[in-house]
Amino acid sequence: MTTQADKEALDLLQGTLDLLILQTLTTGRAHGHAIAHSIERRSEDVLQVGHGSLYPALQRLLKLGLITAEDGTSENNRKARFYSLTVNGRRQLQTETSRWERFAAAVALILSPVAEENA
Amino acid sequence: MFGWNHRRRQLLDEFEAHIDFETEENIARGMTPEAARRAARKKFGNVLHAAEDARAVWGGLWFERLMQDLRYAIRSLRAVPAYTVTLIGTLALGLGCVAIMLAMVDSVLLRPIALAHSEQLVKLWGQGGPEGYHASDFALSFPVVDELERSSTLLSGIATYNTDVHPLTAQDGTRITLITSASANLFQLLGLSAHSGRLFVPADRGQPVVVVGDGFWRERLHSDPHVIGAVVELFGKPRTIIGVLPAGVQFPQGSGSDSVFVPAAINAKGENEFGLDGADTIARLKPGVAAPQALAEAQSIYLNMAKTPAERERRLMMRSYQETVTGDMQKPLWTLLAGVGALLLIACANAANLQIGRATNRMGEISIRSSLGASFGRILQQLITESLLVAFTAAALATAIAFFAVRLLRHAYGNDFTRFDEISLHPGMLLAIVLLAALVGIISTVAPALRLRKQMVRSSGVKGSARSSALPGVLVSLQIAVTCVLLAVSGLLTRTLHSLADVKLGFDPHNVSTLVLIPADQSQSPQVSRDLEARLLERFNTLPGVDGVTTQSSVPFSNFNMDLNGRTDVDGHTYREGESAHYSLVSTNFVRVSGIHLLQGRTFTQADESSGDIVVLVNEAFVHAFSPDRGALGTVIRFHRNPGETDADQPVAQNMTIVGVVENELQGGALDTPYQPLVYLDFAQFPRQSMLSQIFNVSAQYAVRSSLSLPVLDRELRAAIKQDAPSMVEMSLRPMSEGVEQSLGQRRLALRLVTGFSGVALLLSAAGIYGVLAYSVALRRREIGIRMALGSSRKETAMFVLRQAMRMVLIGIVPGVAGAWASGHALRSFLYGVGSLDPLTVALVALTLLMTSVLAAALPTLRAVQVDPTEMLRAE
Repeated sequence: MTTQADKEALDLLQGTLDLLILQTLTTGRAHGHAIAHSIERRSEDVLQVGHGSLYPALQRLLKLGLITAEDGTSENNRKARFYSLTVNGRRQLQTETSRWERFAAAVALILSPVAEENA
Repeated sequence: MFGWNHRRRQLLDEFEAHIDFETEENIARGMTPEAARRAARKKFGNVLHAAEDARAVWGGLWFERLMQDLRYAIRSLRAVPAYTVTLIGTLALGLGCVAIMLAMVDSVLLRPIALAHSEQLVKLWGQGGPEGYHASDFALSFPVVDELERSSTLLSGIATYNTDVHPLTAQDGTRITLITSASANLFQLLGLSAHSGRLFVPADRGQPVVVVGDGFWRERLHSDPHVIGAVVELFGKPRTIIGVLPAGVQFPQGSGSDSVFVPAAINAKGENEFGLDGADTIARLKPGVAAPQALAEAQSIYLNMAKTPAERERRLMMRSYQETVTGDMQKPLWTLLAGVGALLLIACANAANLQIGRATNRMGEISIRSSLGASFGRILQQLITESLLVAFTAAALATAIAFFAVRLLRHAYGNDFTRFDEISLHPGMLLAIVLLAALVGIISTVAPALRLRKQMVRSSGVKGSARSSALPGVLVSLQIAVTCVLLAVSGLLTRTLHSLADVKLGFDPHNVSTLVLIPADQSQSPQVSRDLEARLLERFNTLPGVDGVTTQSSVPFSNFNMDLNGRTDVDGHTYREGESAHYSLVSTNFVRVSGIHLLQGRTFTQADESSGDIVVLVNEAFVHAFSPDRGALGTVIRFHRNPGETDADQPVAQNMTIVGVVENELQGGALDTPYQPLVYLDFAQFPRQSMLSQIFNVSAQYAVRSSLSLPVLDRELRAAIKQDAPSMVEMSLRPMSEGVEQSLGQRRLALRLVTGFSGVALLLSAAGIYGVLAYSVALRRREIGIRMALGSSRKETAMFVLRQAMRMVLIGIVPGVAGAWASGHALRSFLYGVGSLDPLTVALVALTLLMTSVLAAALPTLRAVQVDPTEMLRAE
């Protein structure tokens, strides 16, 4: 069942997805579709999830007070809901980013000897 | 609710916008609009899933899901009204019966023993004659109780009480009242504290004070809150009310809460204010002490203390208070409760079967939901919600049923059985019913749900779902077994009632009223009482419309019998330790008025009074016990004397000569009591100086045979009493047949309950059989059609269905009969004139079940034989 698989992917990516959304919003407010596209582009299509999975993450961030939402009109004159970073969100992004970098560095360190052996 | 809906709407709008953006981009990339939209939707994924996950973040989703499930459940249940009504009706009947029985068990068994640590309370008494054929119970004398209190190390307290009825004067006049003379420590021992005022303290011993029960306070004192300090009059002396017992205290056993308590005053002769030298004894074991241990200690104390000669022959006995109180009702009620539990089981089985059938019909719907992304857990939750909705509706209905049934019971039996007037449903029980309903709801969903799961795992083809399973058949067999037990028990009770109705009373109760009088003043001399009694007897006998009046110290079904059980020597028969006979004092015209059959010899005559010899009549049981071989007529009997006993120790010192033998007469108030040897003495000949004269003159019992209507007779009798014996108070005046009815009442009630329950069980079983067969026929229409096309006749087709019904019934009857035998055995003390496994009953029950199953199978069979083979083949 595809839905079950989606759910697992979402769980796996949950923390990452939050981070990516926050990162995307640093450049200014954006609606859901724009966020999804931006993430896709920037991760060079590696992070492929159903766009629908974005919304639970957005709701979570809203609830945590890291982003806010407001109704607005898009560039092509359509009604849409725009999300932007709060001060808290900006701070959270900084700490999370540095933590993520440390984590990624650690993972790379652990994995590198194995990679060499396999090579 | 509004908030959720709003948020949901907002999210869905947002999704819609998202997909629109994507679509536009796709179109810009050169896709056709249609393909562009499809690709956008695909990329977005499952909309509802995303919406649900997003909203889950906000919490409270469970409630929204619940409301959604409830709306869904109501909608889908309304689509199948027949199913819903059957299911709710089935469960409501099952739960309703349980609620009724719970109410009875609670008020009859549990509440009366609601005393602090009632498991520590025991009753003590003496039992006569270890040998011989009759052991009677004796109250312990006050010195014995005192000695036990002094010496026992295992009892934390021991208290005494005597209950008697006496006229008591309150603001509302003089009325016969239950008076309990209690030792001052009784309430403390029972762990009671006053509702208002205070209870007895040791200093109250013999003081002119009373404590009143809650019932007395409500009825006679009109719940007056300022009653403490008020004065009532008892035995011609004023007494001050010092306390009121809390509501719900039912002590002494059987008196409800109507008793008035006086602190016992024991005089120098060791007698209390009623002139009794002993009392009911209740003791509390110290924490952790086992009853047998305490009994052994008490027996050794009893063995070593100074006693009267009579006491020396007795043994000390002990029984738990709880058992004493609930004793005779305990077994039948628990058995009935078990029966009702079984009934609920039947209802559950039916509900499960109904749901299995429905689940199979819903396979299509459920497969669709499942392929749309609903997990098994989510579907199960939905199914359980639906079950719970049904179960709670059924619980509400059951409560209503029980409420009316309990009112009916209270109305019909409130005056006949102690504590039945208090039967009620209270919140605790309602909670129990609701919990039970929830349990039933969940249990009856599990089986269908498991089947669903199995079928979901298999690829859900339409043909796959048409496979039938053995489970429904097994459940029906179970129902049949339980119904068989219930039917058998009601059969046994019916036969018991029939046997009891055939019991010969000896005393012909037709047109007889029993009148009991006592002197208003307890100190009235026995001689005066005796003369009054004789004068009234004469007067009553001359009343117009009265055919005859006799006095008798123990009239069948009277609650005011005086019983003398004396060790008896019979000439020509060697006395064996403990042999005794009962003695009944009657008036000279007893045989004529009672209608008892004189089998041999003659009856009493006026001439006997003046002759010096005492002549007696004996019953058949006496002849059987003492002189089975020789004729009893002319035999001389006398009270047995132990060495050292003098004339003064004997009720009657003279020899007594048997002049007649009468048929057995019922003794006491129960039709199934075995007949005891009985000697009839003419009251006119009873020695005036006898020590028992005083006891026998405490009350006078008249049996009046008259064809007058009851109100007229009652008026005549009362007028005569007022005129000739104004110092006597009426204790009881009622038709003897009322007593006969009352003695049957307990069994009749049990029969009605069991019959009601087994009727419900039969109905449910029939519904169960019908359901399974109808479902199976519906599933096998193709098979039946093919069989018929291949040459099977309609008769064979009918047999095909009926065989299935018979199989379920026969498989159920085997454990059913075993269960019936076991419950018959458990109820054997309640049965009379029928064994615990009665072949006739079993045969009738089996026949009933088979007939019922044939009836239940009729419609499905008809449907099966009407299957048109050509149509079926065409469908193939």
